[in-house]
Amino acid sequence: MTADVQTHRAQVLGVKGLVKHYGAHTVVDDVSFHIGAGETYGLLGPNGAGKTTIISMVSGLIPADAGSIELAGSAMTPASTRVKGHIGLVPQELAIYPDLTAKENLLFFGRLQGLHGKELKHRTGDVLELIGLADRAGEQTKKFSGGMKRRLNIGIGLLHRPTLLILDEPTVGVDPQSRNSILESVEGLATEGMAVLYTTHYMEEAERLCDRIAIIDEGRIQAEGTRGELVELTGGVDRIDLHGSGNTGAAATALRRLPGVQHVDGDASGLTLTVHNGPGLLAPIVAEAGGAGMALSSVEIVRPDLESVFLHLTGKALRD
Amino acid sequence: MVANDLRQRIRDKSVVIFSLLVPLALMAVLNLSFGGFDSGSATLKPAVVIASSEDSGQLGDALLEAVESLPIMDVTVRKVAAGDVSRETKATGADLGIILPAEFTAAVTSGQALSVQVVEGDSAGLETDVLISVVDGLLEQFSAGTVTAEAGNIAGLPHDVLGGLAQQAAAGTPALTLSEGQASAGQLSLKGTLVAGQAGLFLLFTVGFGVLGLLAEREEGTLSRLQAAPVTPGTIISAKALVGFILGVVATTVLLTAGSVLFGVSFGSPAVVALLVLAVAAAATSLTFIVARLVRSAEQANIAQSIVAMLLGIAGGAFFPIEASGFLATLMDLNPIAAFIRGLGITAGGGGIADVATPLAIMLGFAAVSTLASRLLPDRGVRA
Repeated sequence: MTADVQTHRAQVLGVKGLVKHYGAHTVVDDVSFHIGAGETYGLLGPNGAGKTTIISMVSGLIPADAGSIELAGSAMTPASTRVKGHIGLVPQELAIYPDLTAKENLLFFGRLQGLHGKELKHRTGDVLELIGLADRAGEQTKKFSGGMKRRLNIGIGLLHRPTLLILDEPTVGVDPQSRNSILESVEGLATEGMAVLYTTHYMEEAERLCDRIAIIDEGRIQAEGTRGELVELTGGVDRIDLHGSGNTGAAATALRRLPGVQHVDGDASGLTLTVHNGPGLLAPIVAEAGGAGMALSSVEIVRPDLESVFLHLTGKALRD
Repeated sequence: MVANDLRQRIRDKSVVIFSLLVPLALMAVLNLSFGGFDSGSATLKPAVVIASSEDSGQLGDALLEAVESLPIMDVTVRKVAAGDVSRETKATGADLGIILPAEFTAAVTSGQALSVQVVEGDSAGLETDVLISVVDGLLEQFSAGTVTAEAGNIAGLPHDVLGGLAQQAAAGTPALTLSEGQASAGQLSLKGTLVAGQAGLFLLFTVGFGVLGLLAEREEGTLSRLQAAPVTPGTIISAKALVGFILGVVATTVLLTAGSVLFGVSFGSPAVVALLVLAVAAAATSLTFIVARLVRSAEQANIAQSIVAMLLGIAGGAFFPIEASGFLATLMDLNPIAAFIRGLGITAGGGGIADVATPLAIMLGFAAVSTLASRLLPDRGVRA
């Protein structure tokens, strides 16, 4: 997906200068981005970066202190009842009723979105098939596994074919099998022309799903672009992960003095380095770490990825 | 949205347990505790009174004769010397000893301070308590006659009139009497009060399943989905309020019906009772708007709703009649639960719609004021 193609997509969501304060704390600071039809846009950042607050404002759940949100050509605020019909929200928490069956949950939220009669019945059946719960449709959701609940949570958001589907950390707490199933479902949405706003702190998900990604930290978008564009920001540096024990603090101090090493970050279980020419520097790095008292158990060279970008831009690892 | 909520409440059984089974069980327990008095089944055993009457006048003998001729129990009075009353009472196992002083009649007629000593028997029971109450009442009647005569004397009334007044006061038959009516008195039997009171009390809990359910939805995550849907906040709140109202009406109706059948209580015209139920459910539902505005979590909402329910329920007479005077009495009259019980008392006595106009007005007025007040309060809670 190239930037040129992006510019030809009809804009579904436009966010300009969004600001949100909680007391004296600014949780969202001058955030702007746009999403086109059929595009999957990712907000990648650690917990507490402001992703959910941005989503809450875009969904009309809370008002913005400044800035504007335009959805499908109309201004979006908490009072924009009609405009909300364009959104399919999949909250981070499981927003389903445990005492209702999967089908009853879908029927209820479908009616809330204005679906009725045959259309509602038809869409409910389609979504149950899509999320793989057709054979469990009549069971109360409190009997479901975590993964099944997650899939239903997403299915409810898809039911009314929204113009914009908002997925807030949809794979948190999900087993690998269900996670893969969810990601496959999301991959198929863009082909149907649906715009998707996807928040995650998992780099792999952002890389796999998103056409464009905004790296967000402390309420601000640090960088935005396709994966390739973002990786270019690192200047071609590699990441080297050193795993082991012993005196990692002394090793970090020694490695920071080594020519070619840009950044060292880590804890007692290992260190993460950003370096120019990783393969070339590997031998002196291992020698320096060992000399400083760190007992290495494994060493890995990682070519530039979004985690490297995050480290490059913020000076800290994405897992923080 | 309403049908969805009702389906959930029925499935999770919380309404059935908390709004029907618990109050019915409580009614049964309270009926067992207090029901005996209401049925008139408490029987008083024959009692023996040991008394001294060294009174030189006539009132001492008159008091003892009055005690001996009580219509509610057989009483035998044995007269002994004053010094033997205490010993005889204990030795014979009598229920009560009475020592009347020699100057009893003189003291009563002159309005002087007087002390009549009573001695409780070793096997003192309900009969002894009744006898003491009777003696106390008779002494008050004698005093009333004296006070009346004294007042008439100061007013310059003729002696024959004074004598008649004093006799009337002492006999305890005032010129004006209150007779216990039916429709106008608004009095339920004890069983009826228990059933109506418990129904009113638990109504206040039941309506909490409506609007306050929004706080639970926020904690469960579903509120954000409701708020992101193309429906107005007013629609969401109204649907929740309607759920609380419907549950309240159904639960109260079931409780009154079950109470009537199980405890043999009649509340009168079903149509008028239905109006009272609708009005009290509206009043109770309106309270939840205020609670929802003031609390921040479902847990806080449950605590606040419980406090409100117990306060209004007890003050309204859900467990026992509460009496007050002055401003407090006016305030308690405005309690929707008290108005509900009062209204049921009227219908139980055969009252119609016109007769329950005041209780209905109180309940509906309460609903209107509470709803209005909730709109003026800052929203710390649901923000739907």
